[in-house]
Order: sequence, then structure tokens, then C-alpha cells
Amino acid sequence: TAAAPRPWRLFGAMCLLRLPRITQPLEKEEEEMAALMGQIELEKSQYSDHEIRKLEEEEQLRRRKESKYDEDEARGKRVIMAQDLEDKWEQKLLRFEPAPRITDADKNNDRTSLNRRLDSNLMLLVKQKIGNQELWLLPQVEWQPGETLRSTAERAMATFLGDHIEAKILGNAPYGIYKYKFPKAIRTEDNVGAKVFFFKAFLQSSDLSQAELKEDYLWVTKDELGDYLKSEYLKKVNRFLLD
Amino acid sequence: PCRAQPKKKKKVDVKREQAQKDRMKKKIKKLEKAAPEMIPIEDFITPLKYSDSHRVRSLPPLSFEETERRVLLMKKWCLFKQKQDEAEKKAIQTLVKAQQEALKELRLESEELYQAAIRRDEGLFPFERDGPDYTPPLPGYDPPEGKCVDITKVYTQ
Repeated sequence: TAAAPRPWRLFGAMCLLRLPRITQPLEKEEEEMAALMGQIELEKSQYSDHEIRKLEEEEQLRRRKESKYDEDEARGKRVIMAQDLEDKWEQKLLRFEPAPRITDADKNNDRTSLNRRLDSNLMLLVKQKIGNQELWLLPQVEWQPGETLRSTAERAMATFLGDHIEAKILGNAPYGIYKYKFPKAIRTEDNVGAKVFFFKAFLQSSDLSQAELKEDYLWVTKDELGDYLKSEYLKKVNRFLLD
Repeated sequence: PCRAQPKKKKKVDVKREQAQKDRMKKKIKKLEKAAPEMIPIEDFITPLKYSDSHRVRSLPPLSFEETERRVLLMKKWCLFKQKQDEAEKKAIQTLVKAQQEALKELRLESEELYQAAIRRDEGLFPFERDGPDYTPPLPGYDPPEGKCVDITKVYTQ
């Protein structure tokens, strides 16, 4: 016997996360502790070969300055001193310029770029028309009979980002749910409201130039979600997002 | 006499060879019975050149304020880590609760979708990911040439 048609419409939504590319800055306690650990390790350690060589050469230099015994000491003299080596290494380090941790996109607060806030998770928000309102939401499409909810979510991702997205979806099960009833004007016996099931995926490829973005989109962090999402929706979404 | 001697040689040789083979087999059995030699863990053996006394670092002893500061910092760190751990555990619990709720609602909707959702995802594991670095990758960076020679000692038992 076929089940009676349920009054809830089903939607599958995809929360696409771009994982952090750089480490988060250390807290004050973490920095203090790291310094302390370094100090303790230095105290418990012994001299390394390089340090012994440096100490001996300093001794030699000192003795030469004080008592000018060049000829006798010159027997054990090395061409390159340990201090010179250290200076050379220091110079080499200073000449290397790593990529900046705070990018241009950060400075301009360009929320459509993926290069912003490299130390936290970014998720995709799109502007969708629900009823007669234009809202910022996680990309969602309605479920069609014959597909699993996970494929609905994949379809949602493909609708907004094109087919060439490499994303690893974390499992078949939904991570969260947002249930809402339609306003009384639209509500009927068979169409009480909608349930939106959220799925999570990690973005694998960092280059989205292939993507055909159709609507307005944003990549935002968890704390910036509050600027765009409605409070009830935000509450449900925040439950399945780790910072 | 010509006929007898070659015959003796053969018998004695055969017996002697047999006896030799048996002795060799016994020796091999003894060696095999002995316990296999342990593979030394190189990390646990300090090389002798580091037990020299002139390697010992000479630093001034710690002042009272310094020891106090260290003890207090350790206590602060304990508290910090405890709070961090509790926050993590709470976050994971909310995650699990949210998922359970979603699955409950899905079950109310349709049984077959629920069964599809709780099926195991074979393609998920093994899951690999490169960890975050301190600075983002530099576009167009040319690393210096070099060859990495592996000199680890490999022991066979």
C-alpha cells in the first residue's frame, strides 16, 4: 500500500566548506607556553657540534687578540668560521619572501573571493527566491522522487556551481534540518511547510574558474553568517558547524 | 687387495658424509631454536659521544621569581586546555544531536530515504587531507634542486 502523501515538501541543501589553508594564530596562553617549553628544552639539552665549534673558535679569537700567538694557533685554523656560516644562513632566510598570510582579498573585504580568511572555514551562500522573497541561503533545491537526499544536495551544488566541482561529501546522512511552515496564505492541506536537510562537503579543488556561477554568491565564515541568514535558520545551521 | 680397498673407501665415505650431514643439521636446528636477536631501537641508545662532560651546558641557576612564574603559567595552561577540551566535546555533542534530529525527521517523512541515508558511504574512507601550513603556497615558487638520500639502517631478523 502506498503511503499517504506527506504535507511537507523536502529540500536538500549543501553546505560547501573550503577548509583552512594556514594555521590559526596562537592564543596568548599558547604563545607563553610555547616559549616556556622552548626554554626548558634549551636548559635540559647539551651542546651540539655546531655550538662547540662556535665556542672553540670564539676562544681562539679571544686568545689571538689578547696575546697575538698567530703562528702557533694557525695550525688548527679553519677557513670558514661557525659565526660566518650562521650569518650566511640568516641572510638567506631574510632574502626569502613567503606569501602573505593576510591577502588582498582580506584587505578589501571581498566576500566573493576564496582567498579571504585563509585560516578559517569558508562556506557558500547563494541568493535564492523563496516564495516572493529573495533570501541568502545555503544552496538548496527541491527533492524529486526517485533520488536520494544526498543526490538532491549534489544537484543543488551543481545548479549553482556547475558540474566541474570536486567536493568530498561527508557521508550519506544529513547533518541538520530546518523545518518551517508556509505562511497561512499559501498553506493548504497537502502543503503545510518544508523541511530542508543539510549535507556537508569539503571543497577539494581550490580553483573555481571553471564554475559557472549564475546567481549572487558569497563565501563567508561562521561568524559572518549572522549578517546574512535569518535567526531561526542561523540557529539550526550553527548547530552542525564546527568553528 | 685391489678390489677390497675401493669398496671400504666407499662405505666409510658414505658413512662419514652421512655423519657430517647429521651434525650440520643438528647445528642448524640449535641455531634456529635460539631466540631471534632483538632489533636495536636506535632512538633509545644515546651515542657515546654525547656523554662527554664538556658538552654540559652551563647556565645560571633559575631565580625564585622565574620558578614561581613557571608554576603559575603551568596552572593557567592546565585550565586553558581543560576549557578547550570541554568546548570541543560540547561541540561534537551538538553535532551528533543535530544529526540524530535530522535523521528522526527524515524517518517520519519516508522510510526509504531514511534507509538510503543511514547506508555506509564506501567512498568516504580512507580520507586524506594535507594539513594547513604557516603561510599559503607561493605561486610560481621554484624550490632549489637537490637529491634526498635515505640512510636509515634496515635490520632483518
